Amino acid sequence: MIFAGIDIGSNTAKAALIKDNTLVGTRVMPTGYHHLKAGTRVFEELMQQTGLSRSDIRTVVATGYGRASIDFADKAMTEILCHGAGACFLDPDIRGIIDVGGQDSKAIALDDQGHVDNFAMNDKCAAGTGRFLEVMANALEVALDQMGDVGLTADNPAKISSICTVFAESEVISMIARQEKRENIIAGIHDAAAARVAILAAKIRIRGPIMMTGGVAKNPGMIAALEKRLNQPLIISPYCQETGAIGAAVLASRM
Amino acid sequence: MKEIARFHQAVNQPWETAGRIRQTGQKIIGYLCSYAPEELIHAAGCHPMRLFSSGHDILLAENHLQSYCCSLVRGILEDSLAGRLDFLDGTVFPHTCDSMQRLSDIWRINRRHGFFADLVLPVKLTTPGSAVYLEAVLSRFKGDLEAALGTSITDADLENSISLFNQIRTHLSAIHEFRVRYPGRIRGSDMNALVKGAMIMDRDGAATLLSGVVESLQQLPVPDRPAKRLVLAGSVCDTPDLFNTIEAAGGTVVGDDLCSGQRWFDSLVPEDKPPLAALADRYRTRATCPAKHAGLITRADHLLSLVDRTRADGVIFVMLKFCDPHAFDHPYLKECLEAREIRSMALEIDDSRQNQGQLATRIETFIQML
Repeated sequence: MIFAGIDIGSNTAKAALIKDNTLVGTRVMPTGYHHLKAGTRVFEELMQQTGLSRSDIRTVVATGYGRASIDFADKAMTEILCHGAGACFLDPDIRGIIDVGGQDSKAIALDDQGHVDNFAMNDKCAAGTGRFLEVMANALEVALDQMGDVGLTADNPAKISSICTVFAESEVISMIARQEKRENIIAGIHDAAAARVAILAAKIRIRGPIMMTGGVAKNPGMIAALEKRLNQPLIISPYCQETGAIGAAVLASRM
Repeated sequence: MKEIARFHQAVNQPWETAGRIRQTGQKIIGYLCSYAPEELIHAAGCHPMRLFSSGHDILLAENHLQSYCCSLVRGILEDSLAGRLDFLDGTVFPHTCDSMQRLSDIWRINRRHGFFADLVLPVKLTTPGSAVYLEAVLSRFKGDLEAALGTSITDADLENSISLFNQIRTHLSAIHEFRVRYPGRIRGSDMNALVKGAMIMDRDGAATLLSGVVESLQQLPVPDRPAKRLVLAGSVCDTPDLFNTIEAAGGTVVGDDLCSGQRWFDSLVPEDKPPLAALADRYRTRATCPAKHAGLITRADHLLSLVDRTRADGVIFVMLKFCDPHAFDHPYLKECLEAREIRSMALEIDDSRQNQGQLATRIETFIQML
């Protein structure tokens, strides 16, 4: 019996298939404007990739911001519940999750059974999200996937005092004008974003082991800044970006 | 139900409602919180009308208010400065939170709306002195109204008004009991419109319509699936979408500790006492707002007993952004709920357009966790 999870995030659409409690495959693609089209395409491409057809799939659960648009899903569940289930599937010992995605960041606490016990989400403001890093990468003319590595070479990380993405961008532009080293600015940006996320973690009194999920978990600079703020190592799965989709497939298997 | 539709209409078109009332020759006195003695305004022959923010963009109010001020205060001042409240013949400000007091100052200095009164209520409500003091405050307000309107309010006038407002409270309480007994049959947005409408509409009309609602409750459709029972706690919840989001996520509101909800209609004014003393009595004994004090754990006791009486599965704190009194009380209320293993979640909202996606994600997750 095969179960599917589809996660329509603000930036990327992800799909995952599980069979007998084992991951069969995952796929990621940009979301774009049309949620249903993105969900259908990522799901079809994953079936093609794994040599499966729609009739092989027993249940589909959709999650993420576009979850309600996926009309062929049997159920829609929030990404908080799905990241909880996904992180637990990838590592049953996990008790805390930091999920930093394109447009929001979340801290999630799991109970001893791995169920979501508490959570906190960023409120409206984009600081501390993937979008914040994107805006900054653009201002600094650094490829988004290079941000992390460049930031790790800083010798004197800059201090970003503004907590708003728009104001922080103008602060970064003044730093560029002062010829501050790019890597120091980037390290400062990571620390500012990590500080926002750490507030969420403190709010729910997160406990370890903590897994970091979401697309931003691919950024080593953010991981380092967060580990410093949380004062503990973060567990990063190779499926960090697909954790929500995997969790959706896990929850589909329990229906 | 046609009666409920009338309340929605009044709530959605408050200016038209006010216009119709003025056409009858009645003067309109605005008020801003549930501690305003509406019975006195009504007994003076005026129409008491609760003011809410209309949600228009803030353009003029920014010049007058500090940035850490809630959207209710900011929105009402904007409505006033933009001329949308020009139908008012007066306004009364009960002394509650700091922002309301500062709004009252600005209102008084601008003098746009005729009659103006500050009601300096006691902060501690349980002392013997507070009864005497509160009655004196109400008596002074009565005198101010009489002087401004050139009328006199007799005990019989006040008793009639008390009786009418008690009828409204009795009907709303009956509808509330119905939602506790049959969760999900009356929609949250409808209950919200009934309570808010009863603060805006002609009260005789509202009492008659509410009586019709009570009689027709059994006709409301039975929901096809059971829902998680929730209590809302906080200041003003003027976001009807919130109720729809809760219901779409598999929840239903069975009770509230809100200034725009049960705190306004719970408990009657005793009708066997001298009317001013009776009014003072109700304000001293009804559920308290965090800007008042009636004991260290009074608010938690009230919330816990509300959860028990409504058999609620969880509590959602609905807090207006920058509402200090509620924010200060939240940690201890949350702890008291946790001690009884009652789950709660805090939502910070304001009158401006909500991020529906985030709100739905939070509410859905919370309801799934229950």
